[in-house]
Amino acid sequence: MIRRKKWKFKNVSVDKQEDEEGKTKISKHLEINTERLKNRLGIGKSFDVGVREMRILDRDIQIYFVNGLCDMEYIIELLQELLDLDREDNEKEEDTTSVKEAIENHLVHLQVEYKDTLEDCIAEMLAGLIFIVVDGEEQALVVDVRNYPGRTPEEPDNEKVVRGARDGYTENIVQNTALTRRRIRDERLRNEMMRVGERSKTDICISYIDGVADPNMVDIVRKELEAIDLDGLPMADKVVEEYLLKQGLNPFPLVRYTERPDVAAIHLFEGHLIITVDASPSVIITPTTLFHHVQHAEEYRQAPLVGTFLRWTRFFGIFVALFILPLWLLVTLEPGLLPEQLQYIGPNKDSNVSEFFQIISAEIGIEMMRMAAIHTPTPLATALGLVAALLIGQIAIDVGLFTAEVILYVAVAAMGIFATPSYEFGVAIKLARLFLLVAVVSFGSVGFVIASALLFLILVHVRALNKPYLWPFLPFDGQALWQIFVRTSVPSQRYRPRIVNPQDPVKQSTE
Amino acid sequence: MEKQWTYNQRILCIGLFGGLFWSIVGYFLYLLHFTKVGPGIALMPWALPEWKNTYIGHLIGILVIGIISIGIAFLYRLLLQKWESIWIAGAFGLLLWVMVFYVLHPVFPGLETVAEMNKKTLTTTLCLFIVYGVFIGYSISYEFNEMQQNDA
Repeated sequence: MIRRKKWKFKNVSVDKQEDEEGKTKISKHLEINTERLKNRLGIGKSFDVGVREMRILDRDIQIYFVNGLCDMEYIIELLQELLDLDREDNEKEEDTTSVKEAIENHLVHLQVEYKDTLEDCIAEMLAGLIFIVVDGEEQALVVDVRNYPGRTPEEPDNEKVVRGARDGYTENIVQNTALTRRRIRDERLRNEMMRVGERSKTDICISYIDGVADPNMVDIVRKELEAIDLDGLPMADKVVEEYLLKQGLNPFPLVRYTERPDVAAIHLFEGHLIITVDASPSVIITPTTLFHHVQHAEEYRQAPLVGTFLRWTRFFGIFVALFILPLWLLVTLEPGLLPEQLQYIGPNKDSNVSEFFQIISAEIGIEMMRMAAIHTPTPLATALGLVAALLIGQIAIDVGLFTAEVILYVAVAAMGIFATPSYEFGVAIKLARLFLLVAVVSFGSVGFVIASALLFLILVHVRALNKPYLWPFLPFDGQALWQIFVRTSVPSQRYRPRIVNPQDPVKQSTE
Repeated sequence: MEKQWTYNQRILCIGLFGGLFWSIVGYFLYLLHFTKVGPGIALMPWALPEWKNTYIGHLIGILVIGIISIGIAFLYRLLLQKWESIWIAGAFGLLLWVMVFYVLHPVFPGLETVAEMNKKTLTTTLCLFIVYGVFIGYSISYEFNEMQQNDA
């Protein structure tokens, strides 16, 4: 603590020209600026920060840049223009009144700004812009020549569709907002940019459609984001989510992520907010309910009936993923529960290991296999598949560790998880299933009933950004639930969902 | 989907759907022997032919519960719509359970008394009634608060 104070004190004594906000003004004397910038940026120590000194119109100017974040060809073009300016001036023999203005007029670029303080300049420079300090001027010129290393839009790996747009968000926030803007040419689409993170200065963008999204919601989100105070957000959107929503011990995802601009655009039209964080290809959709996690873009690319069929299959998969293992375990423990027509369910012969431990070890096995599959390089993946499928599955049954039925139901439940569109939701389902399994093995059918009811009540109790999580099922909204239950045709969806409290409740369809 | 519904229409819908949905869940639990009391209980007070004890009785029971639930929803609206809390709604469900299994017990011939019931039936019906109460109560009070906010 003491050291820190000393350091602050020292800093103040060096920078005499600080203004009230603790920012250093740009000095008229170039040498002072050079010295300060050299110290602060470590020019000469870190290789990626550089400065180019020139003499234009008999004035010294300095151009500061960060290697690798700027488009070098563009900078060369700018330099060319500045040198031409110098030459023209010599030929004309005219007295240039303002060097600053002359330079600005020759910066052939759309985005040129003036900055007054060193801090602003440095912040911009570290984002990949260049700034030009002119001797005798108290303002610096900032030119946007950013060109980040990055990929072009590709189809996101985990949200593929058979038909439809194949572009996806990338790690570049400007590209991302542009992809959204391409789908929403509405003048009322707002992209509010802010910088968060004391050291990382990460760009975060809140997008919403003015006049549709709930302004209170926008205010809340903006305030929450501005309140974030930490070094940096290398885990980008996830960090933002954790600051925005107090998750606690609840495993269910409270926001939806998407990497598809079309999905983001649909939600903007419905009155949701989109939060984009720089350096992450997934954007946050909020507010969300549980039912946002069980829908997929694919359904809206097919005929309504087909879409409904796909959706029901998916619902069934999720239901099965949650309940089939606990129910099966329950009927093996208490065979009396089964109606007569279903008496054949349940293991025929006794095995050496109890069913509960079979299920748990199979579950953990699948989880390990999934992790292994992610970390295994592609050439080895075949070998991994062989080991996993043949050796473990078949031999475990032959040896008598597992009964075949356990493998079947664990596999079916795992398929249900994989069919869940939202990965986060799938994992949460897995945990809920584990909870039910433990309840079943500890307390039998009574445990199962109470645990299920408890799970349901917990979900009812959860609120994401003050929106009930199970809406429209509970609180019940028949019209909205119908649209989730059945994939209705787009012309019939006349109203935006009430849950987002849209300012303009009616979509633009005919009556 | 021509118009937005009015408050009363929504309550009607909440009651009907809540009754149908949870009695269907109850029927499945009955089929899986979680409880000895199926939705057919709604037909018990009336003298009806033999089919009242078969699956037809349960299916009609589901319909009857759906219709009764509309009344229950309006009752909740009258008494408790102001408080948006799942605890009050759950307590309302509990109260309904007490009503059915204690107070109205003589109306249902053949229904075991609470003391005679096994643990399974007891917990299943309790949970079902609580969840049902939460469904109706929480939905109505949420609707009510939404309406208040929109008017304000």
